[in-house]
Amino acid sequence: MEKELRQEAGKLLDDGTVDCIIGFAPGSLKFTTTPLIIEDVGELNNLIVNRFINNNLAKYLLEVTGRVGIIAKGCDSRSIVSLIQDKQITRQDIVILGIPCSGLIDLKKVEKLLAKERDEINDIVVVADKVSITAAGEKREVALSSVLFEHCLGCELQIPKEYDLLIQGPAAEICNYEVSRKHIKELKKMSPDQRWAYWREQFGHCIRCYACRQVCPACFCERCFVEESQPRWVSPVSQWQDNLIFQAIRNIHVAGRCTDCGECERVCPVNIPLRSLSKEMYDLVEEMFNYKTGMDVNAPSLMTAYELEEVEGLIR
Amino acid sequence: MITKKINKKDIRKLLMTWNQEFSVIVPTRERGVAEMVRWDNNDISFLDWYRNTVIAPKACFLPQSEVMISFQKKETGYKIEVPRDEHKQIIFGIRPCDARAITIIDQVFADIYDDYYYASKRRNTLLLGLSCSNPYDSCFCTSSNVNPAESEDVDLMFTDIGDEYVIEELTSGGKALLNMSNMIKKVTKADVNRAKEMKAASVEKLKKRVDTKDIEGRLRSCFNDRDLWERVAAKCISCGICTFLCPTCFCFDINDEMIHKHGARYRGWDSCSFRSYTKMPMENPREEKWRRVRQRVCHKFEFYPINLGINACTGCGRCIRLCPVNWDITQVISSLPADISMHSS
Repeated sequence: MEKELRQEAGKLLDDGTVDCIIGFAPGSLKFTTTPLIIEDVGELNNLIVNRFINNNLAKYLLEVTGRVGIIAKGCDSRSIVSLIQDKQITRQDIVILGIPCSGLIDLKKVEKLLAKERDEINDIVVVADKVSITAAGEKREVALSSVLFEHCLGCELQIPKEYDLLIQGPAAEICNYEVSRKHIKELKKMSPDQRWAYWREQFGHCIRCYACRQVCPACFCERCFVEESQPRWVSPVSQWQDNLIFQAIRNIHVAGRCTDCGECERVCPVNIPLRSLSKEMYDLVEEMFNYKTGMDVNAPSLMTAYELEEVEGLIR
Repeated sequence: MITKKINKKDIRKLLMTWNQEFSVIVPTRERGVAEMVRWDNNDISFLDWYRNTVIAPKACFLPQSEVMISFQKKETGYKIEVPRDEHKQIIFGIRPCDARAITIIDQVFADIYDDYYYASKRRNTLLLGLSCSNPYDSCFCTSSNVNPAESEDVDLMFTDIGDEYVIEELTSGGKALLNMSNMIKKVTKADVNRAKEMKAASVEKLKKRVDTKDIEGRLRSCFNDRDLWERVAAKCISCGICTFLCPTCFCFDINDEMIHKHGARYRGWDSCSFRSYTKMPMENPREEKWRRVRQRVCHKFEFYPINLGINACTGCGRCIRLCPVNWDITQVISSLPADISMHSS
């Protein structure tokens, strides 16, 4: 897949179709990757595809100027489409190089399984539906599904639907809707008091680094409500109450835009299970409006498209 | 230097002794991520898993948010109270990189200017270092003049030699702590040699390196190279992880909160990565992302050396390990061009 991808990306840069390519390069640490933004064909050899290409690159489309070629997994493509629907970017300015995806490996799950940290693991090799992991001289084989991200297990678009060029490759069946909602199910079993105590505890850890907001392609506001001071919606002082309100409002703001890419939860440095909020919102959006974000580039945006016949008098 | 030792199985008792007079702070991951918190007077399992914390120990002196004053509105004016935090504490297990970071922050909050809130906590704290035996692949302390197994920034330094810890006494405060316990033993020559071996092995384990030679000059000469900084900053997403988790970053914001007639003035972490940074007093002079990224690099490696004679990065690697996009400061430093002024002279 990499070879074909580099070739196609090279053609786009060579003939001037795009000014730059956004993709993934190997990271500086084991089992990591890093976003790659290149203008020079000489750097194409850094372009990679593997089981650790986490970042939702759609975020960079909000910043990078000119005609852009972007490598997109299914989830990224949904975010790209959503940004087009919200008129944050223009379809004509983007060349989507779609890649099929068979799920990404959640290093936190691997670490937990082995009771070892990322850098203590020597090797992670995927063979069909199994993963063999080597650490401290011992080799262990586990089911691939046990180490995939939960949002990958809930994936609804393993092969992008909106693309200019689709790189051929495998997209093995990985979906397990039940498992992808496992934590939400556990939370729903709790009484409201227990659940409140749970989130109170979780948001007590929040350090307000805003990484969840910054990685999220759906968070495209020029100015976030958290930074408003007149009126002030949320206190900038990090306290569980305000941290929770911040996340609750953020979730409402990205409803109909969140594609369940799981980045908010992955990047949280204090491990708050943020996807349990965003995925619940994602499912509610589908249930209430029969709407799936980023699936149709011509569909009106759920929250910002209005018609004269709207039921709500407020906006007429 | 005076060197002593203690059997590992006596560590709990030792901490219990200290915990009667001090608040003993130890690494824990009770809340999911490793941080330094008040010891529960029992659990020492951290000795098995602890490599370094996610939240840097600076949080013991510069908490994420703290009350500066509390106030109550009266019929005429306000009744104001300033909290006093004079309790004595011991931070046990601090790594040499983080201990150096405290020395670096001391320069700003306790030496140049006596910050009441920081200095009162700092003055009442003893730092007990623990040699690194299993550094992360993101650690590069040896490139920042920090030895993973030695420290002059602590009161006592512990080194694991198997069933025992060798303890070096670096200050009178540390010595007084050891005098509180009868479990402290004399070291043999073999113990000292074993400690030396362990320390050498730690240094060996640190593979990540970055050449910081001429770094101030290199940064000064490319300061105005906008293209370079735009490239360097391209993938940064402007979150606060690197600054908040950095053991030497200390920027803060101050906010007043008032509900009914009661309120408080809070001080909390702020980050130069944020676009809203310093918007409260005026405007952010670093509106574009590349300027903010440049600021972070230059503050650590150019402004600090010029103003305080030390670079403000201790190589703990948190900003690399926890960055959502793997923005790696060592790669950035390595990619900087040579100091032009040196070539022309």
